[in-house]
Amino acid sequence: MILKKAATLGIPLVVLFVLALVFPYLVDPYTIHVSNVAMLFGLLAIGLFLSMGIAGQFDLAQVAFLGVGAYTSAVLTLHAGWNFWPAALAGVVVSILVSLLVGIPALRVQSHYLAIVTLGLSLAFTSLIVNLPITGQAEGLSGIPAPVFFGIDLADDYLFYYFGLALLILGIAFAAFIVHTRLGRRMRAMRDDFLAAAAMGTRVPVLRMIAFAFGGLYGGVAGAAYAGLIRFIAPESFSLANMFLLLAMVIIGGRHSLPGVVIGAVGLIFVRSWLADFSIYAQLGYGALVVIFVVFLPTGIAGIPARLVQIWRSRRIKESAGGMAVAPYEAFAVDLPGAVLSPAEDAPVVLQATDVVKSFKGLKALAGVSLTVREGEIRGLVGPNGSGKTTLFNVLSGIHPPTSGSVEIFGERSTTTPSYRLSLRGVARTFQNLRLFPLMSVRENVMMGVDRTKSRWSWRYIVRPLSVVRADARMRQEADEILERYGLLTLAEAKPSELSYGAQRRVEIARAMATRPRLLLLDEPAAGLNGDEVNQLKAIVNDIRATGVTVIIIEHNMGLVMSMCDRVTVLSTGRVIADGLPEEVGQSPEVIEAYLGDDAKLEKEMLDASGEQTEGTVR
Amino acid sequence: MQFVLQTLVGGIGLGAIYVLVALGFSLVYRTMGLVNFAHGDILMVGAYLAATFFISAKIPFWVAMIIAIVATAVIGLVIERILRPLENKDFDLMLIGTIGFGIMLEGVAILIWGTTGEAVPTPIGGAPFELFGIFIKRYELVVVIVAALASLVLWLFLDRTKQGIAMQAVAINHEEATSLGINVGRSNAIAFAIGSGLAALAGGLAGPILYVSPTFGSSLGIMGFSAAILGGFGNIKGAIVGGLLFGVLYAFASGLSQGYADLVAFVAFALIVIIRPTGIFGESTVNRA
Repeated sequence: MILKKAATLGIPLVVLFVLALVFPYLVDPYTIHVSNVAMLFGLLAIGLFLSMGIAGQFDLAQVAFLGVGAYTSAVLTLHAGWNFWPAALAGVVVSILVSLLVGIPALRVQSHYLAIVTLGLSLAFTSLIVNLPITGQAEGLSGIPAPVFFGIDLADDYLFYYFGLALLILGIAFAAFIVHTRLGRRMRAMRDDFLAAAAMGTRVPVLRMIAFAFGGLYGGVAGAAYAGLIRFIAPESFSLANMFLLLAMVIIGGRHSLPGVVIGAVGLIFVRSWLADFSIYAQLGYGALVVIFVVFLPTGIAGIPARLVQIWRSRRIKESAGGMAVAPYEAFAVDLPGAVLSPAEDAPVVLQATDVVKSFKGLKALAGVSLTVREGEIRGLVGPNGSGKTTLFNVLSGIHPPTSGSVEIFGERSTTTPSYRLSLRGVARTFQNLRLFPLMSVRENVMMGVDRTKSRWSWRYIVRPLSVVRADARMRQEADEILERYGLLTLAEAKPSELSYGAQRRVEIARAMATRPRLLLLDEPAAGLNGDEVNQLKAIVNDIRATGVTVIIIEHNMGLVMSMCDRVTVLSTGRVIADGLPEEVGQSPEVIEAYLGDDAKLEKEMLDASGEQTEGTVR
Repeated sequence: MQFVLQTLVGGIGLGAIYVLVALGFSLVYRTMGLVNFAHGDILMVGAYLAATFFISAKIPFWVAMIIAIVATAVIGLVIERILRPLENKDFDLMLIGTIGFGIMLEGVAILIWGTTGEAVPTPIGGAPFELFGIFIKRYELVVVIVAALASLVLWLFLDRTKQGIAMQAVAINHEEATSLGINVGRSNAIAFAIGSGLAALAGGLAGPILYVSPTFGSSLGIMGFSAAILGGFGNIKGAIVGGLLFGVLYAFASGLSQGYADLVAFVAFALIVIIRPTGIFGESTVNRA
């Protein structure tokens, strides 16, 4: 599959490469100079693409990273007498370090907060270089030596072109490698939904820092090369205006597409140079383009072909609606020898929650919940709306630490263990409101579950890149096996939003099971499913338990709960009001009271819940 | 001591401007969840308009200000109308859209007024007041009073008028507000218009203190935004306290070292955000980490 894709991509790429090689022979010196600047901006834009487009970090300090790389290498060559190459390397290293510092606020805030903090920090950088004597203050630094590459003086713009081209190709190749393998997949998942990504074993804070480091890496490389190309740097090159120009490149080109951002960067630099005499109209023009693209084509130029394909495909799907359906689930595990069909009396305790309290600003969502679940059990968790069921799941899966009380899972204390670590220990969950990664294919969603590596593993990208590729091929195969088992293989390439609601629910279960959990938390898996789908769900859950996995299930469909669960726990206003066998619990006066109470809304819910089907609304 | 108090007074004068900028940001944010990055550029256009009418057309300063406020409110309405398809869908994209508008506004300003900038004479002259050896400029005192009045009027509008309460309802839950018959689009448009008007008020008042140039809006905008976050984004109290705090912070940073004021102020701001992301009075409605 990947090879086939490579072949169809290969021929145009070779043509493009040859064109790029002969390009200098066809054009005048000025155009070559512009091309050199354009290629460096292409590199810079890739940095923003990785941190913002792929990892979702709203980083508006990217041009400052360019400045850090440029100034560091310039100061070292001019004032310390270093050779260009070690100075450039130092520039890259310093730029990465600065990007990590700038990224620290990202651990606490996201989105527009992060945008303003990073923008403020890039103003701080400008203020620094305008005032420091060593950076030449407002006049900047001139007379920076040009790099000499094994005796080739790159002061010649034509020769620099090949150096820049090599850098750009390397930069594109490395970025493509990142994006299409596990690190990039996790970054995209984090961008789409960081809570779900964490629940799949992604260490979000580390990944956010890595995203900033990529921004720093590309900014530093582009900056050091920029100093060697222009040989003069001044503060205005790293101003907010240029940051917004870079942002315009990425938005117009398409922030989620690698070729898009490179095209956007190169294109805008060329347009700017053609309109050099009318620079103010150029500014008006790209400002207007940003607005137009944001409103009408948020995926940028790169999104145009995909848009067309989508229109074509959605028409085709309408014609053959059967093509996108989920295959029926074939139970297999319940018939295997050694299948767990009910929990043993003395099975080890998998989950032990003791007196868990969770308050949100004075509101006690959980007021001392204790729960013991044994291995191989299917435990139902029921209760009226707002009784704290989902909050309990959030505490158990490490999304919220409890206010007080303790949780022990697999005999290990896990009260404050973050969700990524719990995922790696074998706790998986689904979400009440479906949290699939919307911009990733069904297969990639499942691969997020298959990926069990720790953040440390990322060093292989530098040390053993081939093993990354091999591991990815294995993960893909494993994901396909899981998709096959859950009847989703035909939908592997589809985006979640293209699937029916029931299919999306099943993808979420498949994704959770891909993590090979020992404890599975299902949050209202039957909500919105039709009768047939509910029956299939029952078969799936029984199969999951048959393989030895313990299941806790929040559900309003009482018929399903009563027929499937070994034990049922009932929550009401943050407390456990009943715990026992399904038939016992159903007759407990307290439970009937809690459901029927004096609130008409609850009465209605009891009626809904006692029926075979649940309410179809998604809450 | 003299230095501390004098800097404090200067900081409050500057802070009053930040309060107005922060109020505009916060109003738009709390109503539609949007951070308007064009706010600083709207402010700059407002400042230029006020300065032009005041200097060239010889219109009284206050009348020039009102013209500027009305004109920028119209600009705000146009921006809101164009970005409306994205409302309540993708806030990051909307934010980038407002950056696009900011780029355009800056271009327009350069086309009309050039890049050199303009020094606006103080409309209120006279010797500064002296109080215990501290000098208080008359104009800065007026700025503080105007900012206080504007905050009061805004608060009365949001808390005491039907439209204001409807806008708060939209802020809390736009779907529910729609089902109650509130016109969310109109509510957002009003917020944007008032926010832009406040920007022009801030810009017009800042003109005689700072030097009006096509780029002065973006730095003032970022500072006003930082001030809003400092106080707790989206609430009026937060904008006022945050604005004054940031003004004082910036005044002391400038007092210690003129050139490095931006560096000190924004590094301090980043540290505060790391320690307390929700600001002094907190805000609970946005997606934070």
